[in-house]
Amino acid sequence: MNILTLLIFIPALFGLLILALPASLKQSFKYITLAATLIQLGLSIWLYINFQTGAAFGGINHESQFQFVQKISWISLDLGTAGRMQVDYFVGVDGISILLLVMTAVVMVIAVLASWEIKHNLKGFFVLFLLLDMAVAGVFCALDFFLFYLFYELMLLPLYFLIGIWGGVRREYAAIKFFLYTLFGSVFMLLIMVGLYLSVTDPATGNHTFNIVQMMNPANYQQGSVFSIFSHQTLFGIPARVLAFVVLFIAFAIKVPVVPLHTWLPDAHVEAPTPVSIILAGVLLKIGGYGIIRICIGIFPEVAYQGAYWLGLLGVVSILYGALNALAQRDLKRLIAYSSVSHMGFVLLGLASQTAEGVSGAMMQMISHGFLSSMLFFLVGVIYTRVHDRDIYNFRGLATVNPQYTTYVMIAFFASLGLPGFSAFIAEAFSLTGAFKSELIPNWMAVCGSIGILLSAAYFLWTLQRMFFGKELLKGGDSWKQALTGLKLREKLALFPLAVLALVLGIMPSLVFSKINDSVLALVEFTKQMVR
Amino acid sequence: MISTLQYIDSQTVTYALAAVGLPLVAAIINLLLPARSGRVGGWISAVTIFLSAVCAAIVFGSIWNHNALHTQQLWFTIGNTAVNAGVLLNNLSAFMLLLVTVIALPVHIYSTAYIKSEEQNRYFTYLSFFCFSMLALVVVDSMILLYAFWELVGFSSYLLIGFWFTRDSAVQANKKAFIMNRIGDIGLLSAIIILFAQYHTFDLVALFGTNGLVFKSTIQNGMWIALTGQMPQVWQYVAFAGIFLAVAAKSAQFPLHTWLPDAMEGPTSVSALIHAATMVAAGVFLLGRVYPMFSADELNMLAIIGCFTAFLAATIALTQNDLKRILAYSTISQLGYMIMAMGINAYASSLFHLATHAFFKCLLFLCAGVIIHEIHHIKEEHQLTIDAQNINNMGGLRKKMPLTFIATLIGCLALVGLPFTSGYLSKDGILIQAFEWAEGKSVWFKIIPIGIFITSGITAFYVARLIFKVFFGEFKLKALLPNVHLHVSDGSWGFRIPLVFLSLCSLFPLFSFNPFSYEHAWLFEGFSLSNNVLGESIYHHVIPVSISVLSILVAGWAFSVYVKQRRLVLSESSFLFKMSYNQWYIDAFYKRVIVKAVLLLSNALYWFDRAIVDGFIQVLQQVTLFLSGLAAWVDRYLVDGFLYLVTQLVKGIGNFFRGFQSGRVQYYLFSMLAAVLAVFIIKLLI
Repeated sequence: MNILTLLIFIPALFGLLILALPASLKQSFKYITLAATLIQLGLSIWLYINFQTGAAFGGINHESQFQFVQKISWISLDLGTAGRMQVDYFVGVDGISILLLVMTAVVMVIAVLASWEIKHNLKGFFVLFLLLDMAVAGVFCALDFFLFYLFYELMLLPLYFLIGIWGGVRREYAAIKFFLYTLFGSVFMLLIMVGLYLSVTDPATGNHTFNIVQMMNPANYQQGSVFSIFSHQTLFGIPARVLAFVVLFIAFAIKVPVVPLHTWLPDAHVEAPTPVSIILAGVLLKIGGYGIIRICIGIFPEVAYQGAYWLGLLGVVSILYGALNALAQRDLKRLIAYSSVSHMGFVLLGLASQTAEGVSGAMMQMISHGFLSSMLFFLVGVIYTRVHDRDIYNFRGLATVNPQYTTYVMIAFFASLGLPGFSAFIAEAFSLTGAFKSELIPNWMAVCGSIGILLSAAYFLWTLQRMFFGKELLKGGDSWKQALTGLKLREKLALFPLAVLALVLGIMPSLVFSKINDSVLALVEFTKQMVR
Repeated sequence: MISTLQYIDSQTVTYALAAVGLPLVAAIINLLLPARSGRVGGWISAVTIFLSAVCAAIVFGSIWNHNALHTQQLWFTIGNTAVNAGVLLNNLSAFMLLLVTVIALPVHIYSTAYIKSEEQNRYFTYLSFFCFSMLALVVVDSMILLYAFWELVGFSSYLLIGFWFTRDSAVQANKKAFIMNRIGDIGLLSAIIILFAQYHTFDLVALFGTNGLVFKSTIQNGMWIALTGQMPQVWQYVAFAGIFLAVAAKSAQFPLHTWLPDAMEGPTSVSALIHAATMVAAGVFLLGRVYPMFSADELNMLAIIGCFTAFLAATIALTQNDLKRILAYSTISQLGYMIMAMGINAYASSLFHLATHAFFKCLLFLCAGVIIHEIHHIKEEHQLTIDAQNINNMGGLRKKMPLTFIATLIGCLALVGLPFTSGYLSKDGILIQAFEWAEGKSVWFKIIPIGIFITSGITAFYVARLIFKVFFGEFKLKALLPNVHLHVSDGSWGFRIPLVFLSLCSLFPLFSFNPFSYEHAWLFEGFSLSNNVLGESIYHHVIPVSISVLSILVAGWAFSVYVKQRRLVLSESSFLFKMSYNQWYIDAFYKRVIVKAVLLLSNALYWFDRAIVDGFIQVLQQVTLFLSGLAAWVDRYLVDGFLYLVTQLVKGIGNFFRGFQSGRVQYYLFSMLAAVLAVFIIKLLI
C-alpha cells in the first residue's frame, strides 16, 4: 500500500466507521477522529523523516524526482477518433508539498482538540471533518490535474456544511458567501483544466493527459493547441496562456486570500466554529499558496515571470491593507482574520520574487502561519467558549485573571508579529530579502512590505494592552472571571506543541529549509529556463 | 568549527559562549522555579551574571589589543546562500561583553533588594533574558543574528517596562517603546536586505572587516558598485537611512526618542541597566559595527542629529520634575554626544564615552532608585497621595542619606564632566575633537562644536538643579507631616555595595592614570583607528578649562536659584519654559497627529473594505438575486404562462365543445336546427 494513499484515505476510513456506529456511541466520535488524525500525523512524520534530499530529488517538473509516488490508470475511455481519455490516480510529493503535508497533519490534530466544544450533531460534524481532512491531504498529494480538481472541489462541500450548520449567528450568510466565492474561482478553473487536457499529450502513450508534471514541459503540448507556448493563440484578444494563468490565479487567490478577493474570509472566520476556523486559516489558505506554486507558476512560468510585478503588488497591498484593517477591528477573531490576510501577503510577495530566498521565505511563511494562526484561533476559541464574547473592549486585565492563558497569547502574538526566535521572523525576513533581491519586482515593494511588520506589532500590542494588561475589568463581572480562569489539560495539549513548533522552526529553520531547498532551487531554475 | 582553531582560541570562544549562555540558563531556571520560591531565583541570576562577568573578563584579557577571533558554523542554507551563525570577538565586542556583565552585576545585586520577593521569579526571568540577548547581540557575527538579538533586547525591554502590568501607564509605555523600536527594526531589516542584495552575504567580517566587501565598493556615476553586483546609488542612502532609524530608535535619538522617558515606568533597576547603560548604547555599538559603510555626508548627518538631540534633551531636562525623567533626558542627551562623536570621526571617544556613561548613569539611576524607594516607603506608610518620583517632594536628603548623596554627587560630576571623574576624560575628548573637526570646514560646521559646548553648560545646570532640589534645602515631606519622625536611610547593603562599586568606577583611575588626558586612557587607545591622533592643538587646553569653569559658574547660579531661592530663571508661564516642560511638544504631535492619522486611515480602510469591496460583492449578490428573480418571473409568467395559456385555450375549447354533449334530445334538435339554419343563411347570402 502506498503511504500517501494511506495518508489520504485513512480519514475516509475512519469517517465510514463513524457513519456505521450508532448515535448512542456519539461520545466516542471525537476520540475516533483524534485517532485518525494522530495516525495521519504519525505517517506524515514518517514521510518527513524518510524524505530524501539532494539535487536528484528536486521534483517540480521531473516526474522521476517525486517521492512516494503511486500512479495507477484510473479512468481510461476509448473515445474513438478523439483518442483515449486518460485519467490517472497519480500521487507523489516533492519539497514543495512534503512540509505542507506535515503541517496539515499537525493542524488537523489541533482542530480535533478544538472540536470538543461541538455539542450537537456530532456524527455529522466528525464525518464531514474527516472528509475535509481527506480532501486536503489529497490536494497536496495529487499530481494529476483531474484528481487535484476532484479533491479541491471535495473540500468545498464539507466546509460549507461545517460553517453553515455549526457556525455562529450569521452562519448561513457566511457559508453561502464562502461557497460562492470559491465556487466562482473553481468553475473557471475547470475550463482551463479541460483546455490544458486538450493541449497536452502524454509522450509515452500519445493520449491527452491531465498529468500536471507533463503539463510543465512545453514539448508535450500539441502543435497549434490553444495553450501551447509556441502557438501564441489568443482568447478574447488576450494571449491564451496569460488568460489561463489569470483565471487559475484568481481561483487560488480567493483561497489565499489576496486583496481584493478576501472578503469571504473575515465573515467565514467570525461565523465558523473554532475547529473550522483553525482548518480554514491553518490549511485552506495554504492550498491557495500551494496552487499558485504548483499550478500557476509550474504550468505557466513565463506568465508568472512577466506578471511578477502585479503579483508582487498584490502581495504588498494585501500586507498593508490587511494590517491596517486589523488595526481597526474590535472583534478579536476578525482582527486575527485580517492579520491572516496581511501575513499571507508575504507569501505572495515572496513567490512573486521568484528567487530562492523569496520562495523559501514564502514556503516558510505558509508553514509558520499554519501553526501560528491555528494557535491564535484556538486561543480565541478558549475565551469564546467560556463567555461567548470576544469583543476586545469587553475585557481588560486578563493577565491577572488567567496568567497562563495570557502567556500563550503573548507567545502567539509575539511569534506572529515576527519576533526573532520564532518561525515567522525567518519567513518574513526572507520573503522580503527575496523580494528585494529579485530583478522582477521593484525594490520599493520590499521596503513597503516591511511596514507590514511594523503594523503587525501595532495591532497585536494594542490588543495586548487593551485586553490583557491594566486593571482587571470584565464586562460580565464575576461570572466571567470564574469562567475565564485556568486552562484545561486538553487546551494545553493543543497550545504547547504549537508554541514549541513555532519556536523550534525559528531557531532551527533548517528543519524546513533542508527539505524544501532542492525543490525551491529546481523551481527557480525551471522558471528561468522556461523564460529563456 | 572550534576544532580548527588554536586550542587557546577555542577556549576563548568557549568562555565567550559561556558568558552569553549563562544568563539564558538563569532565565530558564527562573522560569521553571515554582512561584513561591522567594529570593532563590534572584541569587541564581546574580551568581550566573557574576560567572558571566568572569568569563567575559577572561575573553577580554585574551582579545583586547590582540587579533580578532572569528568562528562560525553553518546555521541553515537557503537557496544557494549558506547562512552562518558564529562569534566575532574583536576589541569592540570583547569590551562590550565585559562592560555589560560588569554593569549588570551590581544591578542584579541591587535588584535582589529592590524587587519584592514574590515578584522576583518573573523579574529575574526577564532580566536574565535581557542579559542573554544583550550579550549575544555584541558577539554575533552575522547581520541576521544581529537583527534577531537587536529585537530580542527590545522585547525584553518591553517585558521589563511593563513589569507592573496592571498599571496603565506602564503598559502604554511598553507598547510605545516596542512600536517605536519596531520602526527602527524595519529600518535595520531594510538595511540588511539591501546589503545582502548588494553583497550576497550577512557576514559582518566579510562585509565590514578590513578588506571587506564594503571597502571594495565604490560609487560611480550614480551607481553603487560592489564586487558582487551593483544598484542605483540611492539604495546606499536608503541603507544608511535604515541603519540610522535603527540607531535612533534604540539609542533614543531625535525623532524616535520619545519612548525612553516613558520607559521609566519600569522598575528603577531596569532603567539603570537597560535604559541608561546597556541597551540604549546598542545603537552606538551598531554604528561601531557597520562604521565602514558610511560616507562623509552620512557621517555629517549623524553629527547633526546627535548634536541636536543632545541639545534638545538637555533643554527638556531643565524643567522636568520627575527624578527619573530628568535622568532619562540626560541619557538621551549623552547618547546624542556619542552619536555625534561617531559622526565627527571620534570613533574611539564615542565608545569611550559609552563606557564611562554606562557606569555613572547606572550609578545615578540606582541612587534615584534608593531615594524613590525611601520616599515610596513613607508614602505607603502614611498613605499619602504624592508622586514618589517628584523632586519637589524631596530636599535636604544629604544628611539622611550620606552614602547616596556622595554617590549621586560623583555620578553628577562625571555627567557634567569635571576633572578627576571618568566623564571628564571621555566628554571633554568629544568636545575637543568636535572643535578640531570643525576646523578648516565652512562656518556652518562650527554650529556643532558650539552647540555641544552650550549643551554642556545646560547639563551642568540641570544636574545642579537635581542635586540641590533633592539633597539641599528642607525635606518637603517634613512640612507635610510635621509631627512624624520620618525614617529615611541609605537602605540595606544590597543597595550600598552597588553604589560604592559604581562610584569607584566613575572616577578616573579605572580608565587612565593621567586624570587630564583622554588620549592616554587605555580604552581610547584600544579603539583609536589610527595612531597619529596625538595632535596638540590649542583646544586640548582651552576646552577642558573653559568647560570646567563654565560648569562651576552655572552650578553656582543654580545654587543661588534653588538653595538661596533667588528668582533668576524664566517664569513658568514663558513660552520657552512651556516648550521645555512639554518636551517640545514632540510627543503630543506624535500622539495627536501621527497615531491619529494611522488610526483614521485604518478605520477608513475598514469602511472601504466593508462598504466598497464587500459592498461590491453585495451588489453582485443583489444583482444576481434580482436577475434570478427576473428569471423566475419570466419563467412563471411568460414561459410557464404561455404553456398555461395553451392549456387554458385547449380547456376552453374542450369545454365549449363539451357543452354540446349534454345528452338532452331537445338540445340536439335545437342544435341541428341551428346548424341547418346557419347553412341555409350562408347559402342565401352567397
